[in-house]
Amino acid sequence: MSGSLLTPNLVGLCRSLTEILLGIVKAIFDALSLPGVGSWFVSPGVVVFFTYLIATLVMVMWAALVNLLSVMWVERKLYSRIQDRRGIMLGVPWPWSKKYKRGMTNLGWGFLQNIADGVKLLQKENITPASADKLLFHAAPAIIVSSTIMVFAVLPFSENFYYTKVALGVLFVLAALSLGPFAIILAGYSSNNKYTLIGGLRAAAMMLSYEIPLILCVVAVVLLSGTLDPFQMVAVQERPLMGTIVPSWNVFSPPQMLGFVIFFIALVAELERIPFDIPEADAELVEGWTTEYGGMRFGFLFGFKWLRAFAGAGLLVILYLGGWNGPVFATVSVLGYPIPILPQEFWFLLKTYLVVMVIIWISWSIPRVRADQVLKIGWNRLIPLALLTILGAAVFKTMGWF
Amino acid sequence: MFLVFSAVEIVGAILTVTSKKLVRAAFWLLITLITISGIYILLRAEFVALIQILVYAGAVPVLLLFGIMLTRKKMLEESETSEAK
Amino acid sequence: MAEFWVNMGPQHPMTHGLWNLRIKVDGETIIDAEPIIGYLHRGVEKISEVREFQKVIVLTDRLCYVSSITWSHAYCLAVEELMGIEIPERGKYLRVISLEIQRIASHLMWLAAFGADIGLLTMLLYALRERELFLDLIEIMAGLRLNSNYTRVGGVRNDVPADFEKSCQRVIAHFLKKLDEYQDLMENSKTFLMRTQGIGKLSKEDAINWGVTGPNLRGSGADVDLRRTIPYEVYDQIDWEPAIEKDCDCYARSIVRMREMRESCRIVLDALKKMPPGPYRMKPPRRAEGEAFRVTEDSRGEALFYVAADGDDRPYRVKIRSPIFCTLAAVPQMMRGHKVADVVSIMGSIDICVGEIDK
Repeated sequence: MSGSLLTPNLVGLCRSLTEILLGIVKAIFDALSLPGVGSWFVSPGVVVFFTYLIATLVMVMWAALVNLLSVMWVERKLYSRIQDRRGIMLGVPWPWSKKYKRGMTNLGWGFLQNIADGVKLLQKENITPASADKLLFHAAPAIIVSSTIMVFAVLPFSENFYYTKVALGVLFVLAALSLGPFAIILAGYSSNNKYTLIGGLRAAAMMLSYEIPLILCVVAVVLLSGTLDPFQMVAVQERPLMGTIVPSWNVFSPPQMLGFVIFFIALVAELERIPFDIPEADAELVEGWTTEYGGMRFGFLFGFKWLRAFAGAGLLVILYLGGWNGPVFATVSVLGYPIPILPQEFWFLLKTYLVVMVIIWISWSIPRVRADQVLKIGWNRLIPLALLTILGAAVFKTMGWF
Repeated sequence: MFLVFSAVEIVGAILTVTSKKLVRAAFWLLITLITISGIYILLRAEFVALIQILVYAGAVPVLLLFGIMLTRKKMLEESETSEAK
Repeated sequence: MAEFWVNMGPQHPMTHGLWNLRIKVDGETIIDAEPIIGYLHRGVEKISEVREFQKVIVLTDRLCYVSSITWSHAYCLAVEELMGIEIPERGKYLRVISLEIQRIASHLMWLAAFGADIGLLTMLLYALRERELFLDLIEIMAGLRLNSNYTRVGGVRNDVPADFEKSCQRVIAHFLKKLDEYQDLMENSKTFLMRTQGIGKLSKEDAINWGVTGPNLRGSGADVDLRRTIPYEVYDQIDWEPAIEKDCDCYARSIVRMREMRESCRIVLDALKKMPPGPYRMKPPRRAEGEAFRVTEDSRGEALFYVAADGDDRPYRVKIRSPIFCTLAAVPQMMRGHKVADVVSIMGSIDICVGEIDK
């Protein structure tokens, strides 16, 4: 069951790194003839603290820098191509392209555009409306950002690339995502703008009502898998399907196919994407609950929509699509460490990005659904179907069919 | 650790009950509920803690805010920040 | 929640032009609506009193900038009736071709704006991409893409080049395939049907009573197309059918416009085949006296020009009747009882161009 790039797990790697670094610090202090201070630096508590500090840094940077920028780039390029145009192109161009000249940056593949947008947002003034409720106005983006990043603490990217092993990982992700609606109402209310207030209320109503089918589908999956632990769930899905060589991903069982579709629709609604775009519909009365936020605060709210998309897609992959299962074409030994050719992280990221691309594809091809129609779909159609999924999963479990 | 959590929680609860602006009360309620779930984690009942966040902190303050927003009299013609009900 | 008036506009990202719509809402339902116009008034009628007949065409082009040739053409017809002249046959055919190409371009602009309003942002780019092809055709004909100043009192400004027919055929063949695709994209999408069916109903009697004309009227089931009822130019010699739908809602109006685009393609190809060689322009007299009015079928409805002159080489009075000006009066009735989110559907399906409202 090897197959991950990080052979001891992430925390183990960070611990080795910490020990090396603190060893260097201790050596410096020893050379300065302060051995007491030096050995304090290598004491277990400090090592653990710095280990987790570095692991947190790595995880947050991986999630928020690498993945967020990648998801943003994928989205902008993909929807530009759907619209028959090239899309963002600010980047270092390929040196062998025909039009390459030194210093030209607008013929590249577009990755730097997101960084440029981020820098632009950073250097804007953070305006707070004068009559806004200052505590709530500043707290709302903080809640959204922190609840989104919290998800990455328990979402494993492969067998060894994780931050902590929480036995209730899936429930943790759902709990973190459920703090969203509250922050949206706070943001809408504290802007002191009746349009953002209405927008915030509508957004929160929509997100709340679509959390229910989301959680119900997770209940169905948990019924069949018997565990809330993401590691166990992926391990369960690695068995071959009834004698064939196909692994038994959860999506291949009939109740879960329905559950997959419902979870997907509820996910698109949770992420406030078109077709469920009413909180940010600029054609309508309310310009959206983020109107009064400027500068990097808006950048957070705006960018973390994509990070939530990535986290939601990651959850979908773990629950239904088998997580990081995939043919890890066996290993080439380098220095005695087996290196997999297609590591498990690759499969996880591939599946997650495929799900994200499908979400983007749907987003840019369908008109917007009206506010009351959104709620009607959520309550009248999705919840009965989700209950049906639970029923089907229970039947399958008792019959032992899957 | 327990002292930190309980201190935050008590402060949050007091601010919930005594704050003049209703929406701030809902905010402090959220803080209180989250720190309660922190105490549950300290007591090694992780499941209860997560369910607390999912059900309580995710839904109850939102319900409270909906109740506030939808039952106000002169809702959108006066400035909301000076409402003291 | 109490009832209160809300302003949509005048600065609004998705109203097509500069006008204000005040709606009285009770919660989420609209009780009343009041359009407020005049932000784009440029005084076209007054300025045309001090310019010669030919020079007014520059102004009438810019009345509705999306569909400019149709407006100049209406003016030219009115002035030609005033002067009592008859333009050569080839001129009439060239005018018809330019009118229909402009109608397609205008309906494509409608499609772009409507799609973007409904939330289908990709349609904005697709429709504008197709519109570019037709604007290129207009450029070959007239030299300019928008506001092309092509019609003259007495004919058209210039002839088309020899390979124009082939370019038209190529563009239209490509466009008809794409139109099938867009019709598929819009009509087979359940969310589009949910947003437009049953919304903005305007019954046939109401539409006629309020003075609504054009695709909006034909979407309510009335068989009134001025190119057929009062044929002008050579429309009675070309084989085409008006598009009529019976449903009276936003969906019907959208279908009417899609079908009209197809009919316009047919008209263009037919006119190109039937066009006789010969002169395309005649020199009109410099001065005129009397009064005349003509109605034409603009992309949005019935455009009427009334020109009065008193022997001078400028018009004494030009009166313009814009179709959307009258349709806006029917808008409050269309909106009552719907939700706020339907405002954009209804506004988009009426195809507002504020330039012709405010003149």
